[in-house]
Amino acid sequence: MEQLKEKLSVIFELDKIDTTLKFVDLEEWDSLSSLSILAMLDSDYNMAMSNADLLTYSTIQDFCDYVIKNRK
Amino acid sequence: MNLKFRHKKITGILTILPENEVKFEDEMDQYNFSPAKSLKLKMAMGYNTHRVAKEGVCASDLCIRGLDYLFEKKLLDKNEIDALILVTQSPDYFMPPTSNVIQGHFGLKQDMICMDINQGCAGFIIGLFQAFMLLEQDEINKVVLLNADVLSPKVSKRDRNSNPLIGDAASVTIVEKSDDSGIIFGNLKMDGTGFDALIIPAGGSRLPASADTAQLHEDAAGNFRSLNHLVMKGDEVFNFVQREVPPMIEQLLSTAGCSREDVDFYMFHQPNKFMLNKLADKLGVPREKMPSNIVENFGNASGVSIPTAIGFNLGTRLTRESLLICLAGFGVGLTWASILIRLENLDFNEIINY
Repeated sequence: MEQLKEKLSVIFELDKIDTTLKFVDLEEWDSLSSLSILAMLDSDYNMAMSNADLLTYSTIQDFCDYVIKNRK
Repeated sequence: MNLKFRHKKITGILTILPENEVKFEDEMDQYNFSPAKSLKLKMAMGYNTHRVAKEGVCASDLCIRGLDYLFEKKLLDKNEIDALILVTQSPDYFMPPTSNVIQGHFGLKQDMICMDINQGCAGFIIGLFQAFMLLEQDEINKVVLLNADVLSPKVSKRDRNSNPLIGDAASVTIVEKSDDSGIIFGNLKMDGTGFDALIIPAGGSRLPASADTAQLHEDAAGNFRSLNHLVMKGDEVFNFVQREVPPMIEQLLSTAGCSREDVDFYMFHQPNKFMLNKLADKLGVPREKMPSNIVENFGNASGVSIPTAIGFNLGTRLTRESLLICLAGFGVGLTWASILIRLENLDFNEIINY
């Protein structure tokens, strides 16, 4: 879990990501960071998601929980 | 499906690029991104300069320039052309086929076949398959495969998804019969349920171009396009490529009884540096063996990207050396296709300007 949060922090260039927020609430959220997350999920967690999927999570914490639970 | 071909060879590859070079920085004020973000996009995707045809230049013009060059240099005899295949998504006309227009321009013999194929990013592979199949005929000994696309007018300048990477180009590939008994292995899959992942929505019969379809609209990511413009679902295409291409290559190599290390180069379609690096990592192939430098230098010209990659990265090496090359194209259709072929002693492998 901490590793995943660290990876998200790197993508958004933040010291520590606030996981109570939604992705769209982050100032750095854009199509490029979105694609970076999809690529990270593919290479590190063997998971595929769409841009739209990322926006369905009500918090970044929910997203992290889902990834950790469903990683392959 | 797995495909196999015997007694066929590629004997020359020529790529034709428009001279006009456009820099990423010159266009980035048209994107809905701050300059800092645009430069981040440039770094991540490997954008830099791309070649864009001047207004009015059509796919056939680039092909004619290439064929003229080969006729002049005596690298190709026009009487020997038994088939002219043109793979394009930007034909000169809806009717007739642009390959017929090119045949007429040069006054090629009537005893031949001209054929247009509507294919994109996998167009070099699909064109080679068609060339190999035509060469099964007794009377067909030499096929000229043309790949050409001038898609830059179909991309919105305010679309940072597609505009920084689009390139215009053409290639001429000579495919002939061979005495060599080596087998060329191929693999091909299609998924028409993803037909709208890469599409130009208007301008065909389903939605004719009109004043309405020319209206610009903003999408959720802040890109402006009209229905006459090319639109790509970037995330879906990314997921599709990472999901389907590695298993296809594994199947191709296992059918051929060949290891990843046996292959000298992986010359893949060039969507962007980011995606190619991810693919190389996923396949466990060193990045040096999978060149990803075409988009940054010339842009992504759809089916022409593989011949451009071969010309730019191997050049005259292929006129002297023998290399085992794995080719793969993937994109519009959806289509994904690959070929394992030995390229050696080519008569030419070069890039010229239009």
